[in-house]
Amino acid sequence: MSGGIAVLLGLLVVAFVSSMLVGGRTIRGFGLPSGAEYLVLGVAVGPHGLGVLPRSMIQVFQPIFVCAASWLAFVVGLGYLIVGRRRVHFGRALAGIVLAAMVGSAVGAAVWFAAGVLDVLEGFPRLVLAVGTGFIGCETTRHTVRWVAERHGATGPLSDWLADMARASQLVPMFAIAVLAAVSPHAPLTEFAPPLRLAAGLGIGVIMGLVATVLLAREFRRDESWGILLGATLLASGVAMRLGLAAVATLFTMGLTLAVASRHRLELKFMVQSTEKPVLLPAVLAAGASVDFDAFPNLGLMVAVALVARLGIEVVRGFLLTAFLPAARKAGPRIGLGMASTGAISLALAFVLNVRLPGPATSAVLVIIAAGVLVGELVGPAELRRGLELAGETQLEDTNEVSPVSLRQSVLGRSSDFPEPPHSDAPGAP
Amino acid sequence: MSGHGGGHKGFGTRLIQAVALAVTFGLLYSATKLAPQLEGELGTVAGVGFLLLAGTLLSELLETIGLPHLSGYLLAGIIGGPDVLHLVDHHTVNALTPVNTLAIAMIALAGGAELRMSTIRGVAKSLSYAMVVQTVLVLAGMSATLFVLARFVPFLADLAAKPLLGVALLWGVVSITRSPSACMGILSQTRAKGPVATFALAFIMSSDIVVVVLTAVGMMVARPLIAGSGGFSFHDIEKLGHELLGSISFGTTLGLALGAYLRLIGQRGLLLVLLAVGFGLTDFLRYVTLDATLAFMVAGFVVQNLTAQGGKLLHSIEVTGAVVYVVFFANAGAHLNIPLLQKLWPIALTLCVTRGLITYAAARLSSHLADDTPAIRTWGWSSLVSQAGLALGIGLGIAKAFPTIGEGFSSMVIAAVAINEMIGPVLFKMALDRSGETRTSEAEVSRTSLLPPDPA
Repeated sequence: MSGGIAVLLGLLVVAFVSSMLVGGRTIRGFGLPSGAEYLVLGVAVGPHGLGVLPRSMIQVFQPIFVCAASWLAFVVGLGYLIVGRRRVHFGRALAGIVLAAMVGSAVGAAVWFAAGVLDVLEGFPRLVLAVGTGFIGCETTRHTVRWVAERHGATGPLSDWLADMARASQLVPMFAIAVLAAVSPHAPLTEFAPPLRLAAGLGIGVIMGLVATVLLAREFRRDESWGILLGATLLASGVAMRLGLAAVATLFTMGLTLAVASRHRLELKFMVQSTEKPVLLPAVLAAGASVDFDAFPNLGLMVAVALVARLGIEVVRGFLLTAFLPAARKAGPRIGLGMASTGAISLALAFVLNVRLPGPATSAVLVIIAAGVLVGELVGPAELRRGLELAGETQLEDTNEVSPVSLRQSVLGRSSDFPEPPHSDAPGAP
Repeated sequence: MSGHGGGHKGFGTRLIQAVALAVTFGLLYSATKLAPQLEGELGTVAGVGFLLLAGTLLSELLETIGLPHLSGYLLAGIIGGPDVLHLVDHHTVNALTPVNTLAIAMIALAGGAELRMSTIRGVAKSLSYAMVVQTVLVLAGMSATLFVLARFVPFLADLAAKPLLGVALLWGVVSITRSPSACMGILSQTRAKGPVATFALAFIMSSDIVVVVLTAVGMMVARPLIAGSGGFSFHDIEKLGHELLGSISFGTTLGLALGAYLRLIGQRGLLLVLLAVGFGLTDFLRYVTLDATLAFMVAGFVVQNLTAQGGKLLHSIEVTGAVVYVVFFANAGAHLNIPLLQKLWPIALTLCVTRGLITYAAARLSSHLADDTPAIRTWGWSSLVSQAGLALGIGLGIAKAFPTIGEGFSSMVIAAVAINEMIGPVLFKMALDRSGETRTSEAEVSRTSLLPPDPA
């Protein structure tokens, strides 16, 4: 059996385990919200650990991982405007985007100056390091909010605000990677100006989104829909990759176009949602295996600067939330730290950036975001729980005794991505 | 694969599909013009997407003139392939070999799972007569035809009678292969139910064993004729026994394991298990020189007939059909060697027409002997014309085993299979339509399509 097949089978096993974990439609009790354990597993089996997954093998499968990350971006785009079965509130979404951009700017600026002080990178690589670290790592994983909501039965205005802001924050890293790909001097379309390249990448997504919308406009049929969605996403991402554009941003736009234009947006969202974790976790594992701790000297210091900047700006976010959002006042400024959980999407995007623009800058971005995921996992859920408790939105004292009814209210009715199971066997289900 | 469900599609729908098809072609065409230097992996991703989307759309458009979806997939591959528009390059076509491997595994599993003991018992008499008569007449008839036409075939024109006899025998062996994938593809699209569909499925799936045996025997007999020295080697028989029994044993074990999985865990995660089985086990079976198609077919048969989990297995495989069949056949279209076909088409077409006529005559004879129902008597032959991957595989195996005639032989196989691949599915679909076996299923499919989607 060839090594490639062995790796492929290994990844299928990871995907299988992931699908089993989400098979029960809730994530309560299974794994961490950010998928950080798969990141650690990736580092453990990668070149810096046991060496089971050597760098050469990861390179062979790079196009598959990029496709996987692009598919995830499509899933995120398709569900971007919808939480559970309700539409995201525009004001909350706007606040989420603005605050995420603020976090990204602060972290990016800190890294930019640190790179200058430490004299590690110059020119375009330095820009990539700053923008990549700041803006690709600035999202708050929506799974953390959901995880806390599920575990602690949290419902209320603050929970809804945080859920909507977390979801909205995912736009920023997608846009950042699109900009970085467009301004890259190594793109095949160098005769076109960067704004045109950016527009081309997003335009392909819009066109293919509209094509998929009109093709799926008739009655919804799962078998036909899969063929059309897979074909359209692969074509869009393949063309974007071929033109040196950011395939992830293209597919995010495609998903967003479908979410806006298709009357089957909910059915499509629920259909593709089940693929998220089985695709995401192998991609996170590959990202973990690709982490290069020797990207440049003083990388540890750079990581520390980025993390301190992130935690600091999150506290500022907390102050802003308490100042402008009455529901957040009881929670205090530390509620901002609850939004520090960077998720697997950022990690996958950092991995894609590393594939797209290989070099010390993007290797460092991957390391910093990986560290951010781990720190965010330690800080985010605990602070979020604390904040929601102070705000009086958690309903359960004993985390192991979650009432199915309140769980369903919090998961299905408010801040969940998951549909109401048609044949639920939960007590109280119709 | 999109079935017939979904009700009538009007002019507006077709227009939208045509525009979407034009966008699909236009987008990839523009990308290849803007970045012509980039092929390889980057081209593969776009190529797969193109084959999937263009294949699906073209199949929908060709449906309006009664052609099967397979023809649309093939045509999309031919037009976008390396020999016409070059939207899908040779690298992509080769890179999709794992998808073909997966597709063949899925098709064999589904084919085996479709075979119920009760069904086989129902057509046992027809099947036995047809198997014997088709095998003998097609094998003998096509061997004789090539022997007679040899003077018109460039690589055979100067061959002496004895080696020519060996080559003719091998051609006969290739001619008795049918296409399980085409059969399953058409049945999956039309969801036809009736005697013609049942007969086709039972015949084509069980003929795989006959083909494996006769290929080994044919090569054993042809070797001394073509090489001009040596005699029969019973080592080939030993290898054949190992291959057959090993494949059946392995398939039985796999079938029981899949049955246990379905019973204990259900369909959750089954798709990933099937992917792992398709990719991993095919590679393993090749390594231990077992017949993967036969092993998977037996596994499907065991799940259907020795466990109560056949329905679940079939349902899971059907879910993948929308993607796997399209990519498989569109890639087959892209794989067609058009320049070679242009060169060899007169002789290839003659051989294909002769094979079709012999198949028809053999079907009439076997139907008469078995006293078949009118439907099988009239249309039973229609599914036996298609040839695809199995024939190509055997042709390439023969070419490798007999290097002196290898290149010419494999070229002729490729050309003949190309023609049968395009004509066969059309004939089978037409037969199912004419015999009325697609009509009842259309109503069933359109009923199921109204069910709400499963959100799992």
